[in-house]
Amino acid sequence: MLSVCPYFHVHQPYRVKQYRVFDIGNDTEYFNDGSETDLNNRRIIEKVANKSYRPTNKMLKELLDAHPEFRFALSFSGTALDQFEAYAPDVLESFQELVATGRVEILADTYHHSLAFFYSVPEFERQVQKHQKRIEDLFGLTPKVFRNTELSYRNDLAKWCEDNGYLGIMAEGWDKYLGWRSPNYVYSPKDCRSIKVLLKNYKLSDDVAFRFGNQAWESFPLRAETFADWVHAHHGDGQTVNLFMDYETFGEHQWEDTGIFNFLRALPSQILKHPDTSFKTPTETILSYDSTGEYDVPDVLTWADTDRDLTAWTGNDIQRDALAKIYALEADVMEINDPQLTEIWRKLQTSDHFYYMCTKWSNDGDVHAYFSPYQSPYDAYIAFMNALSDLQLRVADRVMKVRLKKQAAQEAKEKRAEARAKAKELAKPTVRPEPPLELVVAKVTIKMRIEAWLRHSHIGRKIWGLFHKNKK
Amino acid sequence: MKVLTFGWDFPPSRNGGLGVACYGLTRELATEGIEVLFVLPKKQETIGTPKFIFAGQEHKTTVIEVNSAIAPYHSGSSQVTSVIGYHSDGTPKYATRTMLDEVHLFAIQAAAIARTHQFDIIHAHDWTSYLAGVAAKKASGKPLILHVHATSFDQAASNNVDPSIFRIEQDAFNTADTIVAVSEFTRRIIIEKHRIAPEKIVVVHNGCDTFIPPVHDPSLKELKAQGKKIVLYHGRITIQKGVDYFVRAARRVVDVDPNIVFVISGWGDMQNQIIRMVGELGLSGNVIFAGALWEEERDRMYQTADLVVMPSVSEPFGLVPLEALQHGTPSLISKQSGVAEVLTHVLKVDFWDTDAMANQILATMRYDVMRTQLASHGRQEINRLSWREAAKKVVSLYKNLVNLIRA
Repeated sequence: MLSVCPYFHVHQPYRVKQYRVFDIGNDTEYFNDGSETDLNNRRIIEKVANKSYRPTNKMLKELLDAHPEFRFALSFSGTALDQFEAYAPDVLESFQELVATGRVEILADTYHHSLAFFYSVPEFERQVQKHQKRIEDLFGLTPKVFRNTELSYRNDLAKWCEDNGYLGIMAEGWDKYLGWRSPNYVYSPKDCRSIKVLLKNYKLSDDVAFRFGNQAWESFPLRAETFADWVHAHHGDGQTVNLFMDYETFGEHQWEDTGIFNFLRALPSQILKHPDTSFKTPTETILSYDSTGEYDVPDVLTWADTDRDLTAWTGNDIQRDALAKIYALEADVMEINDPQLTEIWRKLQTSDHFYYMCTKWSNDGDVHAYFSPYQSPYDAYIAFMNALSDLQLRVADRVMKVRLKKQAAQEAKEKRAEARAKAKELAKPTVRPEPPLELVVAKVTIKMRIEAWLRHSHIGRKIWGLFHKNKK
Repeated sequence: MKVLTFGWDFPPSRNGGLGVACYGLTRELATEGIEVLFVLPKKQETIGTPKFIFAGQEHKTTVIEVNSAIAPYHSGSSQVTSVIGYHSDGTPKYATRTMLDEVHLFAIQAAAIARTHQFDIIHAHDWTSYLAGVAAKKASGKPLILHVHATSFDQAASNNVDPSIFRIEQDAFNTADTIVAVSEFTRRIIIEKHRIAPEKIVVVHNGCDTFIPPVHDPSLKELKAQGKKIVLYHGRITIQKGVDYFVRAARRVVDVDPNIVFVISGWGDMQNQIIRMVGELGLSGNVIFAGALWEEERDRMYQTADLVVMPSVSEPFGLVPLEALQHGTPSLISKQSGVAEVLTHVLKVDFWDTDAMANQILATMRYDVMRTQLASHGRQEINRLSWREAAKKVVSLYKNLVNLIRA
């Protein structure tokens, strides 16, 4: 018995336009590039929709209809969903149709495809909640399995997932942490009792995601039949083959002319040819198998490049500077509590911005080894920092207003309290001040003497009686 | 292997990047075991053997001076006055000739030198030596390499090239066995404008000195003390170098941040025009003309500057950003330059986009982290661009050509 768990990640960032120093303080739109370049977000969505989302969804729907056994998982960044809604609503509908079959699982994620977990857990939690709400509203289901930005993973993230009621989490099946073990089993994250971790089989996943169209690759051109044979070879040596990749592999990273769509069309039937092979969603996989061991990842693990760490996002000084500055705004943004401003702040947290500033490969002179809409990592940094500078000004301005308002409210409150106290004071019955004690004693003594004389002496009583008789 | 090399300029003659390039390459060729016979036209202002510092390898380089008045960066028709001989009383005889006359004279002398010396290959640097190289080839039958440091299209910064120079270039390119271009940028010009077969042209990027230069006291101390930031232009003030775009960008920068001061170091035919332009744009308070700075003065300025800008309209290579990085200062360079092909840790901009240029200058001044990273990573990057690497490529070209002749 062997199952295959395919999972495709859908993401589009809000790319920052070439925002210049002159624009700081004058332009509050950071993401509205209208040029013919790859900084124009609408243009990118329309392009990728035509090359990838529309044809792939059409094919996935046909495959789901043709093969009742076929299953897979999707994850969406909120920034992708928002842009589909704005620029290509039919794409969003086609995703909803896929999910409506009941055989497509959606994973939990951060809304803004951010690295927030590593910078601010409270902010991370807010983004996960926002994402969950969005998925519930759009697809009517609540994610049960978590995946983090760029498949980033660490023991404490798994622990967080367990504490927050998830069934499992996705991670890279990396040799450094697996040792001699295979990624094709279900494992338990370190220090977790109830949840499980599903590990990406990077060899087979990257055969499709990265190598498929590479003419220099020994297995080029890869046929679905061959690939299915490679999958079937794990019978007897594994429970699940986890094929995790970017959704945009289909038609965007691997263009149509590589034959990627023919491959996808043939894949389910080729996989299912073997009688003991099935498809499972991540939840089904987690519920089907017991854990075979512990997966202990003390340092951040991602699915990126040969280092499998965060250095593509945090490897150089300008990246660390930009990240530190964006998260430094958290307290003020939370204090301002303006949904629009918070949203802009979060859009700037999307990991892609920092990836564009990567200079890791530049040292090898291979500047084209990665995709970026900017002409250089420094152009990316300048655009980002200029936009961030404007946001900083707005935040500082707003926070001052909020604080002044709060201060004014506080002062008004104090004034009111004071006024109330004064009014209360005035309303109290007036009491004549007691005379000094000696004086009272002296007065009383004279009075008492007269009274005593009146009451007790013979003449006095007569006089007293005279008065009182008259009164009666 | 012995190479007969033709050039017109050699340090410490103060003419610009081309002499520096000849020096760097020749020095490393010597360490690669190549014997260089360097032919220079004699120039009145630099009488006396140019000083060579070959770290103990002087014996391998012999300098031959030829009596000619070639000065670089002149158009073909410009008049050159030179000493052509001496009267019996010892006073010099002057003659005024055009640049073209000088180039032809150099070629005649080159043929004579080629007949009287032993060598395996001919290497001619820049258009002023092309005819000399061709003449030497005809006289000796040895293979010829032309080293293109610039073309007539760069100097004109447009398509209005000097037709006589263009003709010399094209004829020489056709005669040469191999053409070395200092960048892909220049190689494309030779393919597209001179219509030379692409396979004949090899790119050998210039290198730079990788030693760490001595640190000097900063210049412009008072300005620095006032918290002013310094942006430096270093180079000839001529149309090819795009100084006018630099000044226009400066106007835009000063509008935003009046604390930035622009230093223009150099000389050239556009100097008066640029000075007028600075006045017209009301920039006199923010632009300093430092004159032509050399050696220690130049190094001091490189070290003082917060950013060096090379706004060239057309730059075959461009040593300025490499020199700046050597002194720990980051650069902003035009995309229309050969050096942009080999540097990642610099800011790049289209020379005509003064708005983008101003934005990048301002951003560099605002974001210290970026400035530091550009300098530190750039410093590492230039270690890959040594003259040694360039010389190795040239040596393999020599060997290929010599083997071809033998075969």
